[in-house]
Amino acid sequence: MKQFANKKSEQANVLLCVLCTILIVSVIGGNVLFNCVTRFNVASSQVRGWKESLYAAEAGGDIAYAEVRKTVLDPSHAFSGWTNSGNSYSNSPVTFGRDNLTTSGTADVFYYDRSGNPWYRIRAKGTAPVLGLNRVTMDDRMGVGTRGDSLLRKIDFNYDHFVATYGPNGDGLSKALVPVSRPQVTRRIELIAAPITPFEAAIKCSSTFYGLGDAAMIDSYNSQNGPYYFCATSPADPHYGDSRSGNIEIGSAVATIRGMVYGNLATNGGTIVRSYQITGTIDNNVPFTIPPFSLPADLPMAQPSPTAITGNVTINPPVAGTPSSPVFYLVSSFTGNLTINQFGSAQTYVAIHTTNDITGTIDVKPGVRAQIYFDGNVNVKARDLNNESWIAGNLQFYGISPTDPTTTQTIAIGPPGNFAATFYAPSADLTLTGNPDITGAVICKTFYGNGNTSWHYDRSLDPIGDAVDYRIVSYVEDIR
Amino acid sequence: MKLKSSQRIAGFTLSEMMVGLSLSSIVLAAAVTSGVTLQKSFNAVDNYFATHMQQIRIIDYLNRDVNRGLIVTTSVDLQSVTVAVPNYVIQSGDPEAIANPSLIGTPRTPTITYTSSGLQVNYSPSPSTVVYSISGTSILRTENGVVTTIASSTDQLVPQTTDVELTNTEYTTSSVTFMPIFTSAGSIAERTGTSLYATSYLRNRRRG
Repeated sequence: MKQFANKKSEQANVLLCVLCTILIVSVIGGNVLFNCVTRFNVASSQVRGWKESLYAAEAGGDIAYAEVRKTVLDPSHAFSGWTNSGNSYSNSPVTFGRDNLTTSGTADVFYYDRSGNPWYRIRAKGTAPVLGLNRVTMDDRMGVGTRGDSLLRKIDFNYDHFVATYGPNGDGLSKALVPVSRPQVTRRIELIAAPITPFEAAIKCSSTFYGLGDAAMIDSYNSQNGPYYFCATSPADPHYGDSRSGNIEIGSAVATIRGMVYGNLATNGGTIVRSYQITGTIDNNVPFTIPPFSLPADLPMAQPSPTAITGNVTINPPVAGTPSSPVFYLVSSFTGNLTINQFGSAQTYVAIHTTNDITGTIDVKPGVRAQIYFDGNVNVKARDLNNESWIAGNLQFYGISPTDPTTTQTIAIGPPGNFAATFYAPSADLTLTGNPDITGAVICKTFYGNGNTSWHYDRSLDPIGDAVDYRIVSYVEDIR
Repeated sequence: MKLKSSQRIAGFTLSEMMVGLSLSSIVLAAAVTSGVTLQKSFNAVDNYFATHMQQIRIIDYLNRDVNRGLIVTTSVDLQSVTVAVPNYVIQSGDPEAIANPSLIGTPRTPTITYTSSGLQVNYSPSPSTVVYSISGTSILRTENGVVTTIASSTDQLVPQTTDVELTNTEYTTSSVTFMPIFTSAGSIAERTGTSLYATSYLRNRRRG
């Protein structure tokens, strides 16, 4: 019997030892798992979700930005499918990506510039799911009395904290306790899309550039401060600050720069040999494209006459017009001599669309701002462009891009003479010969100029003209 | 019978006991040593991972502020970063809040002003200033005087940020290193091996 009792006792000891061992191993394993799971949740789920929610928000911003660009580049399809309320457009949430990210946004007009171009404020929200159960919390272990991740990554485990605290629009209105279906992170950004006006640089071409002559010079001034005079080498001059914005932007690597440039130079992979002739910065890593130009869709009804400019033609506008609603003329040819008079003493705005080439002359009287849209080519002498105010913004040429992209549009300006004008023709090859004195700006496809030209960019051109595209000029994240 | 049985199940001889005890001691010593070593190793790994998480947090904080920043400057030793960020939300004491207290906590609508360098978007007359700095074993983030400890470790966390400004864009490259508590020879290599890198562009200085 004693033997039997001893055996039972030994069995119990073994069982106890096994249980203790299992307990110890389980405690160790549990501790390891607890730490691993906490860190795994942070590293794999929470950090990832936090980053992905920003990607989603920025994707939403890009979607809205694309619609804003369409208002210029493809107006008939802009904000198609979006909900419109006054000047505000909003879209339904879009789900995308392997991790089921969602994004939505609104775009509203909040400002009109001097040329009547709208500025858009884009607010986008991106949401990413956070894997794991909603009882999982954050890894705040750091120092005593300090918090770590929860201050940065605001994860909604059960309720949308933003709507509950700040309201759906972040303005404190309509606060509500909104449960979330699963843990998620939401980030919100605000972008400002500003219109790109046509004449932001002295010369901008999307393809090859050659010019100007060895003794040529490009500088700048601001016509709002009075007539031009050279002060780019006089730092003490009060207008020195406006004198070094004779910028050149070249969208290709073929960039042969000659002459003196009082401004910045940007190319797309170019190699600048005479860098000592450029006073500003040189950046050879600036790729860009210039979208084709289309006739604005919002021009008013055309005046009954003239319908062609042959011989000597004088336009006396019946009204002064406005920048956004100029007095409009549609002409089939422009081979004669055109004079545009002012309407009384009022600042007068005139727009002309010629469906053919321009080979004639034009005389723009003071007080008149003329916008000439042309479907064909331009072949004139510099003296043929008589802008009597000598303010470049008062004579603007716009080359409408051919519908067939293989068709080459040309602008040829030869000697003699000088002129003050602007050309916006993104599909045109522009050739400039002679040694003219030019005030203005040119945007074209290729640029060739071999003369010893004196070129003065007018800084007052910067905000002038209809928007040709949009760019994002401001980025803010609502970090609440 | 009982006596015989007792003798039959009698214990070990002295030599057997000595051998048994010796072996048991060795096994026990090995087990204790292994346990202690494992615990140390686990602590080291756990600490390494915890510090790594703080590296990620520092980088995430920095990138968030640089992304929305207007101006970034770094100190000579690259260990202190100052970021000017738009003052997006109206705070108590702001002019708008004084005029209309109900606006506190609401986002601002930006204004557009004509400047010598073109049109400029402003969310407020002056931006917020965010400063990242090291204080002892902690990394601090100070926004308009309000200090937040964003990371704290005895592993000597060291962030370094370089600001690169080009014609029409600007970005920062940051790295955060620390010294693990388990090190072998060559402390520089140990620190370098923990490097976490990040590049962040100022969205407000993007190319047009």
